Amino acid sequence: MQNHHEPVVPAGTALSDEDVAREAAALEEVWHGRSGFWGWLTSVDHKSIGKRYIVTAFAMFLAGGILAAMMRTQLMRPENTLLGPDRYNQIFTTHGTTMMFLFAVPIMTAMGTYFVPLMVGARSIAFPRANAFGYWTYFVGVVFLYVSLIANTGPDTGWFAYVPLSGPQYAPGHRVDVWAQVVTFTEIAALVAAVNIIVTTFKMRSPGMSLNRLPLFVWAQLVVSFMIVFAMPAVATGSTLMLAEDRAVNTHWFNPAEGGDALLWQHVFWFFGHPEVYIIFLPALGFITPIVETFARRKVFGYTALVMSNITTAFFAFGLWVHHMFATPIPELGQSLFTAASMLIAIPTGIQIFCWLATLWAGRPEFRVPLLFVLGFIFTFVNGGITGVMLASVAFDKQAHDTFFVVAHLHYVLIGGGVMPLFGAFYFWFPKITGRMLDETLGKVNFWLFLIGVNVAFFPMHVLGLEGMPRRVYTYLSSTGWGPLNLVSTIGAYVIALSVVVFLVNVIKSWIGGEAAGHNPWNSSGLEWATSSPPPPYNFVHVPVTTSRHPLWDTDVHLPVMTGLRSDRREVLITTTFDARPDHRHEDPEPSIWPLYLALCMGLTFIGSIFSPYLVLVGLGASLPGLLAWAWQSLNSHRGPDRVAAPDVLAETT
Amino acid sequence: MKRLRPAGNVAELPSVVFGSRSLMWWATLGFMVIEGWTLALLVTAYLYLRQNFEAWPPLRTPYPSLLIPTINLVIMLLSFFPAFMAAKRAKQLDTAGVKRWLVVLSLFALAILVIRWWELWAINTRWDTNAYGSAAWTIVGFHTSLLALDVADTLGLTLLFFVREMPARSFSDTSDNSFYWYFTVGIWIPVYLIVYVGPRIF
Repeated sequence: MQNHHEPVVPAGTALSDEDVAREAAALEEVWHGRSGFWGWLTSVDHKSIGKRYIVTAFAMFLAGGILAAMMRTQLMRPENTLLGPDRYNQIFTTHGTTMMFLFAVPIMTAMGTYFVPLMVGARSIAFPRANAFGYWTYFVGVVFLYVSLIANTGPDTGWFAYVPLSGPQYAPGHRVDVWAQVVTFTEIAALVAAVNIIVTTFKMRSPGMSLNRLPLFVWAQLVVSFMIVFAMPAVATGSTLMLAEDRAVNTHWFNPAEGGDALLWQHVFWFFGHPEVYIIFLPALGFITPIVETFARRKVFGYTALVMSNITTAFFAFGLWVHHMFATPIPELGQSLFTAASMLIAIPTGIQIFCWLATLWAGRPEFRVPLLFVLGFIFTFVNGGITGVMLASVAFDKQAHDTFFVVAHLHYVLIGGGVMPLFGAFYFWFPKITGRMLDETLGKVNFWLFLIGVNVAFFPMHVLGLEGMPRRVYTYLSSTGWGPLNLVSTIGAYVIALSVVVFLVNVIKSWIGGEAAGHNPWNSSGLEWATSSPPPPYNFVHVPVTTSRHPLWDTDVHLPVMTGLRSDRREVLITTTFDARPDHRHEDPEPSIWPLYLALCMGLTFIGSIFSPYLVLVGLGASLPGLLAWAWQSLNSHRGPDRVAAPDVLAETT
Repeated sequence: MKRLRPAGNVAELPSVVFGSRSLMWWATLGFMVIEGWTLALLVTAYLYLRQNFEAWPPLRTPYPSLLIPTINLVIMLLSFFPAFMAAKRAKQLDTAGVKRWLVVLSLFALAILVIRWWELWAINTRWDTNAYGSAAWTIVGFHTSLLALDVADTLGLTLLFFVREMPARSFSDTSDNSFYWYFTVGIWIPVYLIVYVGPRIF
């Protein structure tokens, strides 16, 4: 029945400037939320939420970085007394927890929250209020962790909180409870974002954007969202249910005396924890393709191979978790299987890297800052990948287990694979978010300091690990001979810090008075560049129609669009899942305070669970009126009339 | 910026649709996958712990009772019918029919939730007795949280239908509520078999 809506793109006349301006003014009226502080609290605009998500997650990167600098200062010479063992334990645990749970995952979903709707040509995200709820839940977790750390109740059993160390017997007090509930807030936020990104990608794509035309950034976000859906429940099972129950109501999940099992924790944790690495890394791969295409000035080589590599990586990522457990009594056959799988995953990753190299080789690369960070990624990440293949061997792993070699490996992988492309992405999309260009010279200083700092900080750790220096020690004796390399590593950490300061200066300077960006400063090909910078609240005056993978490169002076969405209410276009044919119009919700209220109720529920089961009931009870109000508000703000297509009837309503 | 050229018009498309065409259906599906997967992981952990015991349930631990869980299972299976009818009337945009079957479904939902209290105790082992008890309680408890959410959703929707005029979109919501109800009941069947019947078999 939708055939006549098929985007055939006839040669027609373009809309006049007056028509576009009139439509834009009407949309502005409907889509602009309230202003001021209340407007900020109630905003459901995916760009506004995405921006605060990015800023909060980056603030967590800074906080985690400050903790790292404290650790490196402590370790810069033997028998240093800057930090005692108890404080050091809290700091390294909070560093890891921050970087993994409050920086790396949230910033990747934040980028998705901001850009996926723009890249698929939608006016909004699928569930704007849920999106706001996810952000506020995450924010509660952020505040909770740092208030706890300042109050000397920071978690202190490592970011993976192994039992029995984290169990009720060896970790009395509330430090581990803080960890378990911070993880809960991250889980909820990540799951909400994942479902939002999946549904936005499946149902809100621009007409004509069939799945084989989906931008690779969005493919990466889609694949990662599926990974979140299957990985996060594992850590939820482990921390929010099992560990919290063992600690609060005396269950015996991990108590061997009553038939429990400490290894069960490692299984549920790493069944999440290993995919987590790819949850951080795959979105970063999504950043790379548009950057490489734009600065090589040609379409990416191997689109299908890149998509298939993404999907394959996601599948393999769920079959590797036991390689974190090689030092436990796992049957030999199991070890061999997980060794093979761990080596296998290097293949799809390798394919992607070769595709980008081929694109650069065949293009005319222009070495602007975003591309420099991509090259930094290739260098750093490949180093980390190689030590990963080394660690996949059981014999080697048993030697290097729990040493600084592993610390070096994971930082090469995560900084190389996650943070480097992220910086590239900041430089690339900052103009879209703010309307201003970042300074190129400061960007180059930022890049070189970062690349040098990372290698100076982390390369010596390989050697330290091979020399036997265990991770997570707060000091060491001078007779070990580890002092000089630790000093080098600390200097590297300070260089990283300096590089980040340069980045911050660049952001502040450019945001205030940077060069105006225009709508498409890099002459890039994606739909996000088809609207102004920053985009208006409704993203697009008319929904763009997609006729190729590179809509802005493959269309002439005209961009085909679908007209007919209402401008007297917030309306978005829903398309079919595979072929993106126009299917129906959907009324998007108005701003609301209830997402924030419900996130606070969740905070009360989960933080309360640490202290008393009754507080859980109070939190849940308080959320019920919030849910009702949420529904009531959306019924009240409804603006008819509607055209109903029920399976049994077709009707017009008011 | 490029000039915009109209390639089609969507003004005549419907604005309320049902089932997998609607966004809320997808959100419900996402929730079902996440919660179903969590339950599957818990059941896996339950079976993993089985290997630590010679007998299951462990020695000196009674079998779970079957009577109350079986009665509740039957009521749950019967509740498919009002859920189905509510969805059917919703798809006919029949407000009176929707109200009637939502009330029936709410009564079923409340009855199931109340009986669930005794069903938890029918495990016959406390959560703090041994790992078997911990696992059984967590599984049934987790399903109870899904059930409670579904009951709250059903009661809330029913209440709204009675206290105010509802837009056409609410019919689609009613159909999605039934969709979630099928999940809550459907996923209980394997849980019932593993937690209540399973110890008599393995």
